[in-house]
Amino acid sequence: MKCPIDSRETEVLVAYSSGLLEPEKAPVLSAHLESCPACREFVHAQKAVWDALDGFQAPPVSADFNRRLYQQIDQPASWIARLMRSLQESGLRQLVPIAASAGVVLMAGLLLQHNVTAPQAQRQVAVDSIQAIQPEEVENALNEMEALSQLSRHVDAGNADSKM
Amino acid sequence: MNERVKTFVGAGVTAVDLDAELMLRVRDGDGASFGVLLEKHRVPVVHFLYRMVQDHAVAEELAQEVFLRVYRSRATYEPTAKFTTWLFRIATHLALNALRDGRRDRAQERLDETSPDMPARQVPDVRPSVEQSMVYQAKLDEVRRAVAGLPEKQRAAVLMHKYHEMEYTQIAKVLNCSESAVKSLLFRAYETLRARLAHMA
Repeated sequence: MKCPIDSRETEVLVAYSSGLLEPEKAPVLSAHLESCPACREFVHAQKAVWDALDGFQAPPVSADFNRRLYQQIDQPASWIARLMRSLQESGLRQLVPIAASAGVVLMAGLLLQHNVTAPQAQRQVAVDSIQAIQPEEVENALNEMEALSQLSRHVDAGNADSKM
Repeated sequence: MNERVKTFVGAGVTAVDLDAELMLRVRDGDGASFGVLLEKHRVPVVHFLYRMVQDHAVAEELAQEVFLRVYRSRATYEPTAKFTTWLFRIATHLALNALRDGRRDRAQERLDETSPDMPARQVPDVRPSVEQSMVYQAKLDEVRRAVAGLPEKQRAAVLMHKYHEMEYTQIAKVLNCSESAVKSLLFRAYETLRARLAHMA
């Protein structure tokens, strides 16, 4: 047979080293190894890698994994969360922090311009959101604010049109 | 044979994707089938993500997101590929994003210390000596560093090939690349690992 190293088909040697080579090919390769020091050395080194990787165990899955997952499933996804997921899945995730920053600026400008005082309930929600330490939660809160600011602009535009 | 379920031909063998059939039942409103899929694939997905990001908490968080996405996309599910291909595609995508978002900093910090995540060494009946435990931990750290040192796509390819026994064709579909690209990824990854780990023979 052709030497796998010379023919750059070392996946055969990898498969042989891990015991995954097709049974009909193994005897042919074994015979080749007897006369090819380079392939023997490759197989020896690859077996060492395979054995070493066998030792890379992962810790057990947490007992409450399913409970936490079903908790999330039971929470309805907001339209903002769905939009964000859609952005992320379409590869536009780089725009998320930019949009979040724009939302903050817009909201701040809106508050300064219109001297809006949020109702007590909305203010409390904003405070609670800001106090969240998870970056994703802060990001979600900023996104909510950005959406509110857009809605406010639409309302203002409608009022301006009706006055003309 | 359920005609809704696509059959996948490989090496002359036709296999029905039972996972795809279960997912179609989930699409049709059968929540119990989602539970079956979760039980079957939860551990492999978490373990894949753990070996990718090397942080147990992050791995479970990402795995939760994987299954959440599977569940929330049930209404539009179509078995255009093996269920595990789709599942690992989502998992790989999330892992690569997490690594690029810098969560690797947390993982790298944990590599510098003995991880409390790691399972105790399984030595039947005999408690290992302190020296044996230290040697075991040192070897494990070396393996973890070697894997963590691989470029992300090479790492994903090796993990799928080694721990999940995926063939090149499936890995290619997960990574959305050609089979020859997968061969190249694995060639370079194993070459790097041989250079770093062959002395452990």
